[in-house]
Amino acid sequence: MARRPEPGSDEDLLRSIAAGDATALSRLYERHAGALFGYLHRLAGDRMTAEEILQDTMLAIWRSAGAFESRAKVTTWLFGVARRQAHNRLRVRPGPQPTATELSDRPDQGAGPEELAIAAAGGTPVAAAIDLLPDHHRDVIALVFVAGLPLADVAEVLAIPIGTVKSRLFHARAAVAAALVAQEVPE
Amino acid sequence: MKDMLPAYAAGSLSGADRDRVRAHVAGCPRCRADLAGWQAIADAAPPGTSIPDPGQVVRAVLTRSAIEGSTGGLSRRRLRHLAALVLAEARLIRLAVPIASALVMALGVVLVLLQAATSGATAEDAVTAAFDAGGSAGLVLALIAPIIAAAGVAGTYRSRHDPVAELVAATPASSRLLLLVRITLVFGYDLALAVAASVVLTATDAAGTTSLNALVAAWLGPMALLSSVSLLIAVQFGPDVALGVAAGLWAIRVLSGSVLTRDAWPTRFVVDAWSTNTAVLVASAGLAAAAVILAGRVSGEPHHGRRATHPL
Repeated sequence: MARRPEPGSDEDLLRSIAAGDATALSRLYERHAGALFGYLHRLAGDRMTAEEILQDTMLAIWRSAGAFESRAKVTTWLFGVARRQAHNRLRVRPGPQPTATELSDRPDQGAGPEELAIAAAGGTPVAAAIDLLPDHHRDVIALVFVAGLPLADVAEVLAIPIGTVKSRLFHARAAVAAALVAQEVPE
Repeated sequence: MKDMLPAYAAGSLSGADRDRVRAHVAGCPRCRADLAGWQAIADAAPPGTSIPDPGQVVRAVLTRSAIEGSTGGLSRRRLRHLAALVLAEARLIRLAVPIASALVMALGVVLVLLQAATSGATAEDAVTAAFDAGGSAGLVLALIAPIIAAAGVAGTYRSRHDPVAELVAATPASSRLLLLVRITLVFGYDLALAVAASVVLTATDAAGTTSLNALVAAWLGPMALLSSVSLLIAVQFGPDVALGVAAGLWAIRVLSGSVLTRDAWPTRFVVDAWSTNTAVLVASAGLAAAAVILAGRVSGEPHHGRRATHPL
């Protein structure tokens, strides 16, 4: 017997949405659109595409809310839907399987001089460097830092082990550092 | 510990872990430096733009789901989505409009009732009084019902500057569906108002010898015709032009019935054109259909993808 969801909780909203309640959809949107849209914006690169994907996502949620099984967290389900819609629009193939090199070549997790330079570089260069990252790195960065999902949830959304999430994060940081060095931001 | 630094910078650590990290970082310069790098990424990652307006997004979703059914045909799910869309659109209508329409209609009813009361008191012949009352009831309703409906309908076609129309105009079908829903709501409401007014007048005998059918016939044709003309002009030229034209046409009709010479053929033509018969009703239906079809096309720009510019 499924336990009754707490009133006002995300699960409760999803249940109402599955029953056709548009107000519940609106409330769910207001609660999560910030994280979802920020994530999609980072992923897509421009605002207009992100808006389109966001609409596709809300439509998919509206239609398939009934398919949500209470086993997962609502947020991970929402981001899973968003990712699928983003892939549809952006025609991005699902992230490449972790290669042997990626798994074994965990970078020295100590901060090297390049990593320390990130803190010194400031906002705009770092944001630009993030934009240049390959898709699977940007995906992880966006889920962790824009959507603010805990690492375990990120692992669930991406369907990869949590260790891979961590190593991708560190690789992403190294890539940002390398991009900053390459930019040679003049003072 | 180093593994937890990114999550700490992102603010997604649970309370106990968060405190542990904070305590550790306070005493460990290496980790502090490390954290600073993660913090810089955390600060730079969010794009910082505002989310699209919830109302617009939800309405767009409802419209698209009502049209693009996942299963073909009129499944129950699509009907439920359509019902949700109708409800959402009804909430959008500014309360002032239906209230104003109801007040104007009520005013008309009151005028007829007053006239029936006074003429009843002064006329010697009861039959004449009843006849006069019937004529005036029909006349008043025939004069005010159409312009109320036409004004309401003119407002339903919101032009390309409507943000909702922007978002929804992904397909012509969705623009047309939205328009259909809106005009059904507005015209249906005004139709109900006019019927209610007719019922009240017939029931209180203020309409005299006129039956309910005859009373309804006095305003139904003109109401349908003026509204459909108004809608077509709104779709082609905008709601303001439509309102102006409807008001102008109606002023001519009102004047033809009273001030201008009744027997001259232009005025008789005008009065006849605005009556209830099959030709008028068919013409109204045709004009309305043309308007709805045009509504999909007038948006003009490519169907897929967004417009190149946003309205100011």
